[in-house]
Amino acid sequence: MTLTAEEIFDKLKEKLGDAILNYEFKEYKMGVKRPRTYKEVWMEIDKNAFKKVVETIFEIDYPHLHFITGGDIGEVIQMIYAFGLFHRHPWSEVSIVLKFDLPKNELVLPTITDLMLGAETNEREIREMLGIEFDGLKNKRHLFLPDDWPEGKYPWRRDEYGVDDMIKHTHKSVKDIREERGEQSG
Amino acid sequence: MAKTTYYVPIGPIHPALKEPIRVEAEVEGEKIVKVDVKRGFAHRGIEYMGMKRNAIQTLYLSERICGICSISHPYAFVIGSEKALGIEAPPRAQYIRPIIAELERIHSHILWIGVIAHEIGFDSLLFWTWKGREKVLDVLELITGNRINYAMYMIGGVRRDLKESHIKALRDMITYYWEFTEHMKEVFLSDPVYKARTRGVAQVPKDMALKLNLVGPTARAAGLRMDIRQDIPFDAYADMDVKAVVPQDIVGEVRGDAYDATMVRIYEIEQSLDIIEYCIDNLPEGRILAIPNYIALLNKIKKTAGEAIGAHEAPRGEVVHYLKYDGTRDGPSVWKVVAPSYNNINSWGYCLLGAEVADIPVVVAYIDPCLCCNDRVAVVRDSTGKMLDYSFIHKKAVEKTRALEKELGVRK
Repeated sequence: MTLTAEEIFDKLKEKLGDAILNYEFKEYKMGVKRPRTYKEVWMEIDKNAFKKVVETIFEIDYPHLHFITGGDIGEVIQMIYAFGLFHRHPWSEVSIVLKFDLPKNELVLPTITDLMLGAETNEREIREMLGIEFDGLKNKRHLFLPDDWPEGKYPWRRDEYGVDDMIKHTHKSVKDIREERGEQSG
Repeated sequence: MAKTTYYVPIGPIHPALKEPIRVEAEVEGEKIVKVDVKRGFAHRGIEYMGMKRNAIQTLYLSERICGICSISHPYAFVIGSEKALGIEAPPRAQYIRPIIAELERIHSHILWIGVIAHEIGFDSLLFWTWKGREKVLDVLELITGNRINYAMYMIGGVRRDLKESHIKALRDMITYYWEFTEHMKEVFLSDPVYKARTRGVAQVPKDMALKLNLVGPTARAAGLRMDIRQDIPFDAYADMDVKAVVPQDIVGEVRGDAYDATMVRIYEIEQSLDIIEYCIDNLPEGRILAIPNYIALLNKIKKTAGEAIGAHEAPRGEVVHYLKYDGTRDGPSVWKVVAPSYNNINSWGYCLLGAEVADIPVVVAYIDPCLCCNDRVAVVRDSTGKMLDYSFIHKKAVEKTRALEKELGVRK
């Protein structure tokens, strides 16, 4: 038994009410000879209600976690969680994308590893790449970075905690390098 | 009291591993009582590089994320980009793309089957399967010009068209592999030694596979009917109703072990042959690129803001790219890649607990790990513990080269 994107959203709305600040259904047409469509639900939510939103999704059906990511956009870090509900059914997977901002002076989130064991990998990655602490995450060892990685350096950050001073060319375009050397670009 | 447990490190460099990763096991006799997996030995920071480049450069950079599934990442990238930018690929391109992706699945699955034969100590079987793999690599080379890193896809289509001669080669290949898979079923699935070595090893029950967030053939071997080509189809896959290959449909029961994983992969090769056949039989005529001028394409990207998730079913499982275009630069402002092994490695800790030391290579290999999808960051320190920066190391290297030149009398 699967639900449509609208039915899933109605269930979430009923449970969460004002915690959903903004939402959008994105519809995509796929196929050439028999075009059909599927929908995704993109929601901006209140950061304080994050755990409740995730718990509600798990109540509807056991989801698949696509990814957790975050972007440093200045004053805040924008977190994005993407779940897929009703995967295992043809044409029925509904991706639910949760977005919320975390202020840089309060980079703490509750863990979701109690609901989904496999999310440990994702949370450990976000922790070392963006410096976000996960409340209740048991294994806090580095995932991709070496164990002797300097403290307070987070590769995805674009502020003073970033790694621009640790690398040389990899983050620059050929054009930038040429310009720095005073050569003609192009 | 005498010591009862011993520490067995495997990797990052180890004959049983094709790519660097470290498994640290604590063993009591033959039994593993504690496991820790360390990854990150091949992390190159590709997402970071991609966010500084334009979308076309990033597309071909994404091809280099993985050495084996070098079409899966570009596929997820173009699907995500097309969704975000509102570009639709022409019908002919939508049929050519799955052909290349399925050819890749065939070569990747045969590669894995060879590797698993090698891991259980059956090397003549490795050579036999890899000999069979050459055929699909030849076809890929004929169509794209390369055995790997095909540079075939473009946002809004493909770069090369299929000719009559390619289609003929594809048909010959399909006949060849229908025979070859029958042979493989015989030598792997019906072989008592192979069965004894893989039955019950690396067993993951269905509910555990869900909790560990497993994907691809690893999840399907555990009985989960998940497949991106079925759940959220795209391109020609949307026309043909792909069904996930699961053991319960083949033999009527699921055990979720390395034997089931082998079975799922062999039957998926046959499914790929059907998909390729469908695509060449129904190949529409027409253009292959929505926006043939790359400058115009980059200009469109520069003016469009949007974000989307692009997903493709790679040979190892779901590969997801999240892309955000902010409408100010011609490349993605945020790019996040999740490769299948990222999730599938979660199963190692679970499978190894209570297993035997000799099972480690099988458990490690059964998910078909692709560790290219992780970064290497080297922090170099001198003897006092001070961190050395890049320019210092570079200066030292130049000095050493000069000294060597002088010593050997190299003339410039």
